[in-house]
Amino acid sequence: MRSILGIARVEVRRFLRDRSNIFFVFIFPLLLILLLGSQFGANSGQARVALSGGTGTELEKALAGQLEEDGIQVSKAGAEAVRDQLSRGRTDVGIFIHDDDATAYAGGQPAALDVVAASQSAAQAVLQQVRASVQVVSTERRQQSVLESAGVGVPEAVAALEQSRNSVEPPRVEVVDTNDVTQAFQGLGRFDLGAAQQLLLFVFLSSLTGAATLIKARRLGVIARVMAAPVSSWQALAGQALGRFGIAAVQGGYIMIGTAVLFGVDWGDPLLAGLVLVLFCAVCAAAAMVIGAVMDNDGAASGVGVGLGLVLAGLGGSMVPPEFFSDTLQAVSRFTPHRWAYDAFADIQRHNGTLADILPQLGVLAAMALALLALGSFLLQRSLSRAL
Amino acid sequence: MTTEIQTRKARVLGVEGLIKRFGEHTVVDGVSFHIEAGETYGLLGPNGAGKTTIISMVAGLIPADQGSIELAGFAMTPTTTKAKAHIGLVPQELAIYPCLSARENLLFFGRLQGLSGQDLKKRTGEVLDLLGLGDRAREQTKKFSGGMKRRLNIGIGLLHRPTLLILDEPTVGVDPQSRNSILESVEGLATEGMAVLYTTHYMEEAERLCDRIAIIDEGRIQAEGTRNQLVELTGGVDRIELRGSGNTTATATALRQLPGVQHVDGGGSGLTLTVLNGPGLLAPIVAEAGRMGMTLTSVEIVRPDLESVFLHLTGKALRD
Repeated sequence: MRSILGIARVEVRRFLRDRSNIFFVFIFPLLLILLLGSQFGANSGQARVALSGGTGTELEKALAGQLEEDGIQVSKAGAEAVRDQLSRGRTDVGIFIHDDDATAYAGGQPAALDVVAASQSAAQAVLQQVRASVQVVSTERRQQSVLESAGVGVPEAVAALEQSRNSVEPPRVEVVDTNDVTQAFQGLGRFDLGAAQQLLLFVFLSSLTGAATLIKARRLGVIARVMAAPVSSWQALAGQALGRFGIAAVQGGYIMIGTAVLFGVDWGDPLLAGLVLVLFCAVCAAAAMVIGAVMDNDGAASGVGVGLGLVLAGLGGSMVPPEFFSDTLQAVSRFTPHRWAYDAFADIQRHNGTLADILPQLGVLAAMALALLALGSFLLQRSLSRAL
Repeated sequence: MTTEIQTRKARVLGVEGLIKRFGEHTVVDGVSFHIEAGETYGLLGPNGAGKTTIISMVAGLIPADQGSIELAGFAMTPTTTKAKAHIGLVPQELAIYPCLSARENLLFFGRLQGLSGQDLKKRTGEVLDLLGLGDRAREQTKKFSGGMKRRLNIGIGLLHRPTLLILDEPTVGVDPQSRNSILESVEGLATEGMAVLYTTHYMEEAERLCDRIAIIDEGRIQAEGTRNQLVELTGGVDRIELRGSGNTTATATALRQLPGVQHVDGGGSGLTLTVLNGPGLLAPIVAEAGRMGMTLTSVEIVRPDLESVFLHLTGKALRD
C-alpha cells in the first residue's frame, strides 16, 4: 500500500507543479461557472418584480406590500433602470406607476398600471402572480371606497377591511408552469446547473490532458524503473490510477466546495454528491490511463485529450443541458460518463434524490470505470514491451 | 568441493537459454551467462544487437519466451518482487522526474525499494554526497546539466545497495568529463563487491571496466571471456587502417588478393584491413594501394582489440 500511495503522491505532485495546470484546474472553471451563471442561470426560484414611479404614494405602498405578502421579491428603481433589468433578465416583471394614476387611486378612481414581462420563460408565471396581487389591491380599494360612500370614516373603513382580512383565510392561487423543460429545472439556483456541468467537463478534460504526464514518464523510462523495483505490476498500475484519480478528485472537490462557498451552489446531499464525484473521477482516471498507455506522444495526447474531452462533454450534456436534446442525441449521450453523472446530480440537486434513486447511474459509472481501468492496465503493461 | 561451493555462493546472476521474440523476429536467441559477486560483466554489441532486451528481461520488465533467470537465488519474472529487490536498474534514458528535486527523486525511488524513515533519509544524503549533488539537492532536476542528470540516474540505482547493478549504456550522449567520472564510479562499485551488468557499444569502456565480456550480435552471444581471452580468438590478426583518396573500391578488391589479408572493409576516405602479421605486410599493402592510384594520407597498424574481435567474429565493424 505504501508503494501505491507513494506513486500516487508523486503523480499528484507532478501535476500540481505544472503552473499552467493551476489556472486551468482551479481558476478557469470557477470563472466560467460565474460567467454562465450570471448570464444564463435561472433565478433563485423567487419571483422578482421591479417598481418604478409613484414613490411614496398610496398606490405604490399598497402594491409593494401586497406583492411582498404574496412572496414576491420587490425592488424599486427608476424607469430606465427597470427597463435595463428587464432586458438583462435580472427581474421578471417591471411595473411602471404614473403620477396621474397614483392620484386617481388615492381618490378612489380607476387607475392603470404599465406592466412589462421579461423574455425568460419564468416571467410569464410571475406575471400571473402580479395580476393576482394587483387584483387584491384593486378589490380592497374598491371595498374601501364603497364603505366611505356609505358614510363610514376612512380610519373605520380601513380597520373594518383589516379585520375582515384577518378573519378569513383567502384562497391561495399557485401558478404551475406546465412546460416540461421548465419543470425539469425547477429547484435550481442561478449557478447550480452550470456548476454541475462545468465540474464534469473540467474534471474529465483535466484528467485526459493529464495523461500526457503518464506518457512523459513512460518515455523517460521512469515507469520501467518503477516496474523494476520490488513492486508488483498491479501495485505500480494501481499507484498510477490512484494518482490520476487523486488529481480528478482534488479538482472536483475544489469546484464543489468553491462554488458552494462563493456562489451558494446547492449540491444537495453532500454524501451522495460526493459519491457521484468519486465514481466519475474513477472513470476519468481510468480513461486517462487508456490514453496514456495507447499513445506515445505527449503533445498529441494533450490534443486528443482536449478534443475528446470537449466532444464527450458536449454529448454528455455539459455544454447544453440534455433536456434540450433530441431523442437520438439523448440515446447517444447515454454512452458518455458525463450524462450518467449529470442525471445523478440532477436527481440530488433538484428532486432531493436518495441513494436508491441514483443507484442506476452509480452502477453505470462504476462499470465504466472498471472496464476502462482493466483496459488501461493491460495497455500500459503492453506499452513497456512496445518501448523496446 | 569447497571451492565449488564457494563459487556457487558467489554467483549473483545466472541466465540460461534466454529467448525473446517480437512477432516473427527473434531478438534474443539462446543467451546464457552468469555474473559473480564483485564482477563487472559487459555486454558489448552494436545498437540493435539485443542488449537492452536482455537487460529488460533480467530486470523483470518483460517476460522471456524461453529460458530462465536466477538472481540472488530467486527466479526473476515480471511478477516476482523478491528477485527485484536485489537489482538496481540504471536505464539508458534519464529515468528521473524533471519536476522533482534530486532529493525527491531519490526519496521516491528509495521508498519503492523498501527503504523508509531515518534509513532512507541517511542513505539519500549519502548518495547525494557521493554524486556531488548535495548543495543542489532541493533544486528541480530540469535545471540540472546533462552530466548531473546522468549522475543522479546512476545514484537512484545505487540507493538501496543492490546485489546487482544493471547499467544500460550509461554514457550515451555524455561529455568526456562526465563520462570519465561515471566510469570511475563504476570501477569503484566493483571494489565494494557489487556485481555489475554493463551494456555498451563503446569498446574502450568494455575494455576498461569489465572483468568478462560477452560479444553480442543479432541476439546471440558470439564469444565470451576476459579481454585477453577474446583477443586470442582473432588468432593474432592485426588491423591496418589506410586513410586517403582515390578509387577505394578497386583498391579494396586488389588488396583482398594479397596473401595474409583476411578482410577488407570500408570505402570513401579509407579502408580497414584485417591481416596476419601487420608489420610484415605493411610494405606490400602500401605499394598495392599506390599502384591502384590511391593517395595515402595516413597508415596505422592497430594491434588486436575488441573491435578486431568483433570484426573477426561477425565480419562487420562494431559501430556498423
